[in-house]
Amino acid sequence: MELAKNLQQLTERLNYIRDIFGGKHQDDINLLSSRLEEFRHNIETQANINFDEGLTTLEDLFFFMEAKLENKLTPMDNVRIVRHPQRICLRDILENVYDNYTEIGGQDEHTNDPAVLIARAYITRKRGKKSYNQSVMVIGHEKGHGEEFRNGGSAKPWGNAKALHYMHVAEIEGIPIHSYIFTPGGDPVEDYPGAGQQIAKNIYKMAGLSVPVVALFSEGGSGGAEALSLADKRLMLSHGYYSVISPEGAAAIEGRLKRGERASAELIENCAANLKLTAKDNLSFGYIDQVLQEPTLGARPYHFDFFRTIRQEIIRATDEIVLNTKGFSLFRINQLRRLRDTETNLDDTYINWHLPKSLRSDLVENRQNKFLRMSKGSFINRQSMLGALSDAWTEQWREVYNRLVYDFFHRYRRTYTNFLEEATAEWETIKTRAKKPFKSAYNKVRRIDTTAQQELTSLSKWDRADERGGWNWVSTRAKEDKSVTCPNAKTHGCLDLWTPDLYNEFAGVCTTCGHHFSMEYQWLMYNCFDVNSLYEFNSEWEAGNPLDFPTLDQRIKDAQEKTGLKSGCITFEARIDNIKNVVAVLVAPFRGGSVGAAEGAKLISAIDRARRKRYPLIIYSHGTAGIRIQEGTHGVIQMPRVTIAIRRYIRAGGLYLVVYDTHSFGGPVASFLGCAHYQFAIRSSNLGFAGPTVIKNTTGIDVAPDHHNCYKALSRGHIHGVWDRRDIRMNVKQALLTMGGRNLYYR
Amino acid sequence: MEKEHKVLIANRGEIAVRIIQACHKLGLSFVAVYTAEDAHSGHVALAKELGDSKSLYRISSYHDANELLSIADAANATAIHPGYGFFAEDFRFARRVTERDRPLIFIGPSWRVIRELGDKINTKRLARSLDIPTVPGSDKPIYDEAEAEKVARSLFEFQVHQGVEKPLVLVKASAGGGGMGIEEVYDIDLFRSVYRRIRNYAMRQFKDDGVLIEQRIKNFNHLEVQVLCDRAGKNPVHFGTRNCSIQSTGLQKRVEIAPGFDPSSITYPFDAQKVMDDITEYSITLARKVNYDSVGTWEWIVTKDGHPFLMEVNTRIQVENGVSAAISRIKGKADVDLIAEQIRCGLGDPLGYTQSDITFDGIGIEYRIIAEDTEQNFTPWVGNIDNFSWNHTPWLNMHTHLPQITKENPYTIPTEFDPNLALGIIWGTDLENVKERGKEFLNALSITGYNGQSSTLKSNIPFLLKNTDRILRF
Amino acid sequence: MLNISSILEEIKKTPYTDLSVRAPHTGTLVFTDINEGDSVNSSSGQWQEIPGTKIATITREKNPKPILATQKGFLQKLHMKYNNSFVEAGVEIAVLRHFLSKQEVVHILLQKALHLFNAPERAKYYFAPDIDKKLKISGHKNITVTDGMDLFIVSRMKREIPLAYHGPEGLIYEVYFEQNQNVDAGKPLIGICPPDQLSIIEDVISRVYHEWQEQE
Repeated sequence: MELAKNLQQLTERLNYIRDIFGGKHQDDINLLSSRLEEFRHNIETQANINFDEGLTTLEDLFFFMEAKLENKLTPMDNVRIVRHPQRICLRDILENVYDNYTEIGGQDEHTNDPAVLIARAYITRKRGKKSYNQSVMVIGHEKGHGEEFRNGGSAKPWGNAKALHYMHVAEIEGIPIHSYIFTPGGDPVEDYPGAGQQIAKNIYKMAGLSVPVVALFSEGGSGGAEALSLADKRLMLSHGYYSVISPEGAAAIEGRLKRGERASAELIENCAANLKLTAKDNLSFGYIDQVLQEPTLGARPYHFDFFRTIRQEIIRATDEIVLNTKGFSLFRINQLRRLRDTETNLDDTYINWHLPKSLRSDLVENRQNKFLRMSKGSFINRQSMLGALSDAWTEQWREVYNRLVYDFFHRYRRTYTNFLEEATAEWETIKTRAKKPFKSAYNKVRRIDTTAQQELTSLSKWDRADERGGWNWVSTRAKEDKSVTCPNAKTHGCLDLWTPDLYNEFAGVCTTCGHHFSMEYQWLMYNCFDVNSLYEFNSEWEAGNPLDFPTLDQRIKDAQEKTGLKSGCITFEARIDNIKNVVAVLVAPFRGGSVGAAEGAKLISAIDRARRKRYPLIIYSHGTAGIRIQEGTHGVIQMPRVTIAIRRYIRAGGLYLVVYDTHSFGGPVASFLGCAHYQFAIRSSNLGFAGPTVIKNTTGIDVAPDHHNCYKALSRGHIHGVWDRRDIRMNVKQALLTMGGRNLYYR
Repeated sequence: MEKEHKVLIANRGEIAVRIIQACHKLGLSFVAVYTAEDAHSGHVALAKELGDSKSLYRISSYHDANELLSIADAANATAIHPGYGFFAEDFRFARRVTERDRPLIFIGPSWRVIRELGDKINTKRLARSLDIPTVPGSDKPIYDEAEAEKVARSLFEFQVHQGVEKPLVLVKASAGGGGMGIEEVYDIDLFRSVYRRIRNYAMRQFKDDGVLIEQRIKNFNHLEVQVLCDRAGKNPVHFGTRNCSIQSTGLQKRVEIAPGFDPSSITYPFDAQKVMDDITEYSITLARKVNYDSVGTWEWIVTKDGHPFLMEVNTRIQVENGVSAAISRIKGKADVDLIAEQIRCGLGDPLGYTQSDITFDGIGIEYRIIAEDTEQNFTPWVGNIDNFSWNHTPWLNMHTHLPQITKENPYTIPTEFDPNLALGIIWGTDLENVKERGKEFLNALSITGYNGQSSTLKSNIPFLLKNTDRILRF
Repeated sequence: MLNISSILEEIKKTPYTDLSVRAPHTGTLVFTDINEGDSVNSSSGQWQEIPGTKIATITREKNPKPILATQKGFLQKLHMKYNNSFVEAGVEIAVLRHFLSKQEVVHILLQKALHLFNAPERAKYYFAPDIDKKLKISGHKNITVTDGMDLFIVSRMKREIPLAYHGPEGLIYEVYFEQNQNVDAGKPLIGICPPDQLSIIEDVISRVYHEWQEQE
């Protein structure tokens, strides 16, 4: 009986090896397989013999081979390990790491999103004879062991919303959050409020969560992972992966595959390697704080020792966050030293995880700074040393100046002005009342105002008489004599448009149906803001190739030559009717408007500038395909980084507007764009989390051609209005005036 | 003028017939176009009769510039005549025609002139800059409520001062047109609410909350001045005035008379001759100012007490050009054909005569003959016409695009277009004479037809007859 | 009484319709690499997002536009004489033979079985607003019309006048016109099924579904 069970286990181990190597190492696998078969055959044919010895030999062989193969693991093998149904899942962790737990908001498939699991759990620790139950909020993806309803751990928007809700709860209760990342990525089908937008909301919230957050990565798939992983400490399982995109997804893009085509195994394998998605890689980049060494060939539910490791490290991480926040008294340094000693059994120590209110802002600030410091060297800055130094000086001076002007002077001025306004209003009321008896008498005397009548029949002065309503910037496409067909011609009967009319006077808008043809990014830059009011900064920050991704250097160079830009993001200051703004543009023709480390750094710098100068901030997504996948996690880390900068800006009182044009998808929408309180789209634009091809490839679902249309996004609650391009200047101004108001910096 | 020119006629019906005839007269080749609905129209028959294998093409729509230009290229046309309606006053079309890779001559004013005079505010300001009278009120969009109220208030006072019994003020969206976003105010106390309503409407509809405030003039005559100039734009001439006050309930013209007033047989409470002289002079002044370089019509309203106000300029040949031609004589020319003159000058010929060479004689009436029920809100009648006949006389000029109609070969009125069937232009020595001839013509005119609902054809002949007595009076 | 069998036999003799593929507008026509007898598809996909087979390209003002097959079938005729030449609007460039599907046969039979209400004149027709609202909510097969009911709005020459229905009371079984399209005088607007004939109509449909064999 025992023997059969052992055999069964070995068979499973063999199958597991077969699965995770995807057809490689056939010799080793065949060896194991034949030995196992042989042994099984022996048992069946030769009765009454003691097989213990044979079994031990066989088991030893398995251990030997597994150790040998462990050294040969490629990144793609790790991906297969992580996806294997035998991989440990969140419920295993809840069972084995925590002392007790209650699942919140659902049970098995009876929950709004079975891919996201929330639990209240506690860990029991002892100090001397006294034991303490330390409560935590556990939030994470639940992949299960192959259950269909778990959706592979791909969270739906409402799953992420549920997680967000319990982050709030944890904050109210003042308990730490332990977040477990087991997701291949967010579910891309749009629904209220938009798959990307919900992720953005989560990131935005986590950027300011006032309780300690520890995240543990097993499978960190892009945006879906970011939704739960903006943590004070980020741990990672040694066989996990953390990546901007699945290797298959990257292969589809790199191989330029069309819908339905499959990438070759070799290409996928290469992509996995090039993306540098392993725990080791991410640790060296600094996006992960610590790697937890898993058992050979990856942790499975029967690796009970490993759960103890997780438990110890999770406790250690939480303790460290708390202690670091509390600062370093002599007493705490001692505690910290003990904590760092791996020999210490942390179950037998106790550190209170509750942070007093006074320290919570420190916690948040530490977390924000930690992320803002990341990925600094992942792009090229050709600015001279001196220039950089003088910039730094200017920045410092600005900070001091603004503190003085806005925080001190303006506060008192406002009080004074308020008083003055009230007094004036009161005086007016008194005056009107006093004058009333005379007014009616005055009205009876009809006087003919001859000059007024003169004005009725003669030419008046009009300073706008010469304005012809032309555009400041006109596309070169307007020079070509040809006509184009509106895509809605079939349904709306649009006549063909002559390009010199369409791209000049009509601003790319079909006069029949209002369809907006895409325009160059310069169109909005020069037609929305005051003429000659643009001042670009950081233009020398250059997109790099931090992963040495093959051929990316050349592709970046091509894009730079094509666009004349150094990166896919332009940042500048500009005025609208003398209202000063900081503007960042994501430029679609530069590698699809994708965001990498350079773009992220430029955005953060622009956001900081807006914060320091107290200007409104406008991000114009002329088009973005998402995070630049060839930069791997250097790209994906920009999601939390830029969102943190945005959060700081908004919290400091800034007005942040987002305008979408053409096509905006992926990470940017799911983070710093999607988190804006005020988002607008230019007509005929498309936006969402993942494009139709990605949805088809990942979920197999066909979506309607207008699934990502801006009006759909409006109905879904993602954006807050759809703007006509021709009225962009008026609309932006209107937004600045109505959403701004007197408490905004620019006043 | 080079005879090598080939004119594309970007229009249909009566005007297409007239342009083909004019080209034929000038010895120019032409290209006509037609749509499937118009296959039996007279202009198609005439194009087949007078043209060659590259003189007639079927297109999908008269409204599609691409169709017209593609035909122009295929047929090697060098110029385009837009007629009236469709592209006649579309400065973008004129611009495209002249600025495309294979440029063509647009027989009409240059596109800048069309654009300049197509903007009513701009026209009004141009006029005021030349001291030409315009409707009292603002000549620029007003964006400020206090200013708007000030203008409205002084407009009321102005009218009281002028002795207007019931002063009225019009508030309209400056970006609007076609009767949308216009309201009347009779009391200054109601002005604010009307103003706000119009402003909000304009903001929503046109994204521009500018508002115009003008005097609302009631009881006026609608006069026009026919202007012609060559491409040099230096020495415009006029072909007198027309009175177009007899209109359908939808403000569509039905009868036009030239000249605009007849002081020799009707007594007006003002000096009618001076008004006519003034408005022609003003019109010529404005034409000279903008270097007007084609035919055009200056539209005026003349109040009951004889005040003229310039309303707008129509930068095209108009339907009623024939009635002005009927009373005009050019020294040394057998007859006056304004369309031929427009083509000739449009292609670059100098005018060749001055105002002093143009004389006027008699009175002309133009009737627009339409199958419509004048009792029922001028509803067009649709069906087949099986008889259309009139008495040919020397004083009658009949312009029609209807083909030869017989009982066996009826004509089906296409439903897509303007319902005009024919223009009957009558010339008489004086008012009494022309009225008599008009009635004689109308009484002899016969149109019959039938349709699916077996209702008999309704025409506006009785309406025209009834109104013949009213002409040239207030 | 309607003789369904004989009509069906009649249709079976020519179980297809020949559709004229016409130039939508003027321009220079170039046929794609396609031959007479080739089969073509209409647009397909859940949202009709996959276009039909391209028959030719017509270029006007440097703007090439595909001419696509609108029905499934095969090319009975290709007027190759127009290849690489300038064509006028509405010129027939190909003939597409389309084999009738069951629904289409039902459609033909119903035109003979139902009481048809015809357009009195050439114009654009719309349902009266209240009827239109009901149609959109419950579909046309749930609307009963009675003699003298104001059912349509006739629109021509920019004017709109109401049009009353005359004929037997019954359900609107078929709608034959499209909004914004001109309907010629005498063409059917709607097909009415009097309640007592409902069973006969349903019999027609079921017989077609049993007897009709679709051809490729």
